[in-house]
Amino acid sequence: MNKKSTRMGYLMLLPSVLLILVLILYPTVNTIYQSFFEIRTQTAALGPKFVGFRNYVKAFQDEHFWDTLWWTLAFTAVSVALELIIGMGLALLMNRKIPGQGLIRTAVLIPWGIPTVVSGIIWTQFFAQNGIVNSTLAAFNLIKEPLSWLGNEWLAKLSILIADVWKNTPYMSLLLLSGLLTISRDYYEAAEIDGAGKFRQFTHITLPLIKATMSVTVLFRIISAMRVYDLIVAMTAGGPAGRTETVSMYAVNTYFTYGNTGYGATLSVLMLIISVGISMFFVDSLKTKGSV
Amino acid sequence: MKRKKKAGTIGYVIFLSLFLFVMIAPMLYMISASFMPQSDLNMIPPRLLPSKATLENYARALAQQPIIKYVYNSFIITIIAVVICVTAGSMASYALTRTNIRFKTTFLVFVLAISLLPTITLINPIFKMYSNMGLLNTHIGLAVIISVLDLPMTIWFLTAVLKNVPISFEESAKLDGANMFQIFIYILLPLLKASIFSISILVFIGAWNRFLLSQVLNQFEDCRTVVVGLTLYQTTHTIPFGVVAAAAMITILPLLLMVLVFQKNILGGIMEGGVKE
Repeated sequence: MNKKSTRMGYLMLLPSVLLILVLILYPTVNTIYQSFFEIRTQTAALGPKFVGFRNYVKAFQDEHFWDTLWWTLAFTAVSVALELIIGMGLALLMNRKIPGQGLIRTAVLIPWGIPTVVSGIIWTQFFAQNGIVNSTLAAFNLIKEPLSWLGNEWLAKLSILIADVWKNTPYMSLLLLSGLLTISRDYYEAAEIDGAGKFRQFTHITLPLIKATMSVTVLFRIISAMRVYDLIVAMTAGGPAGRTETVSMYAVNTYFTYGNTGYGATLSVLMLIISVGISMFFVDSLKTKGSV
Repeated sequence: MKRKKKAGTIGYVIFLSLFLFVMIAPMLYMISASFMPQSDLNMIPPRLLPSKATLENYARALAQQPIIKYVYNSFIITIIAVVICVTAGSMASYALTRTNIRFKTTFLVFVLAISLLPTITLINPIFKMYSNMGLLNTHIGLAVIISVLDLPMTIWFLTAVLKNVPISFEESAKLDGANMFQIFIYILLPLLKASIFSISILVFIGAWNRFLLSQVLNQFEDCRTVVVGLTLYQTTHTIPFGVVAAAAMITILPLLLMVLVFQKNILGGIMEGGVKE
């Protein structure tokens, strides 16, 4: 009976394992393999040519790669930091017994539920030459000429960050809230009796107790922010002059516009290495997640 | 003391209204713009509400791109993705919580690790593989890869839920001579109905919104998804925002209805996954 049930267990795991092997593991290994070859769609008939680490050397000397990488990392750091701070504030607010709770939670779901492309389109319109942002600033006499939000490198980056924070903070706050809800009220009552203020309660009770939830949430946000693609495609398409292009966009263009498969694979593997490197910092919190 | 509390409440109400406004205003503006006649959209400063509501933008959105076909494609692809994901995921979770198979923890950690992969490391080999197998520009091809990307979340979620379902139900069924497969189908699935529904909605919304893979794998109109189709309105600057807004409204209508109707399940799904995470 037991043996039979074990066999049944493997059988039931099989569909997931097969799907993952064929559609995740094989492509990843294949991409790593291809990054050591010179493969171009235009010269596909000649076949791949082994070039060792030459694609990697090329990447290190490729100024555009460094530009896209710094922007991707800066975007990730700033957006996740803002989302964490604002998300934490919201989560603390949602954790209180106050009227309007249902309303807040519904409102929070709207930015989360709509496609990133749609939020990109809305914010593009807000930041347009004659858009709401410019006319509001003008109404308060903060600017004389309309700003070219999406035409200037730094303003375009700021616009993208704002749109991203609007879209992703809600989800962050819900995950943090789920962590807050697991903390027993008793801790706070005890702290109150001992005369600890709200701030001390936050730093000495709340933070340590949701650290695990928080780090996993932050890790997943970091990884998905590093993949950023659709938001920027919808807002600037990488412009002005490629200054808001991310590594994902550069890799996709290298693959499918320039047909340079080998180099596209190299860019992807570099991103993979960075993702793994960042995940290493979070291994401890992932372990606690694994043991639950 | 009492006055302080009252001031706090007022501050809270102001903050709450401001927050709700910031969350919803962009959506409301888009809804409003989708009903604006062209002349309203050219106004400086921009109008917030249409001078008179018109369906002109919707008519043009429908005429310029076969957007209803895109919505249909998205539906088919998303539904197939949800079915594959939830079927494979619930079977895996059952195996992980109710049988003595080895490497359970290894498998769960591995599944978690693959959800951290950048999409660009998968995309080209999948493109080549699909091209060889004739799966490019098909509903099923895109649906399968999308379902695999949402599989880690589904397995983690359902495994966590199953761990909390007492095993006693199954044991009495086992005594009655039911085999594992029957127990899974007739006992556990009904018990898990609510959780499976929640995760299905999360997978549905995630799948509907997937962009990069849909853009690369289904490039032709026949099987293009609506999120990708939407960006085609933007490609020429001569297309006014009203039309894009109308197209965007058509894109998100199914999602918006879903979010509003099933918000309890969605919140439960996100947060339950969160607690266990």
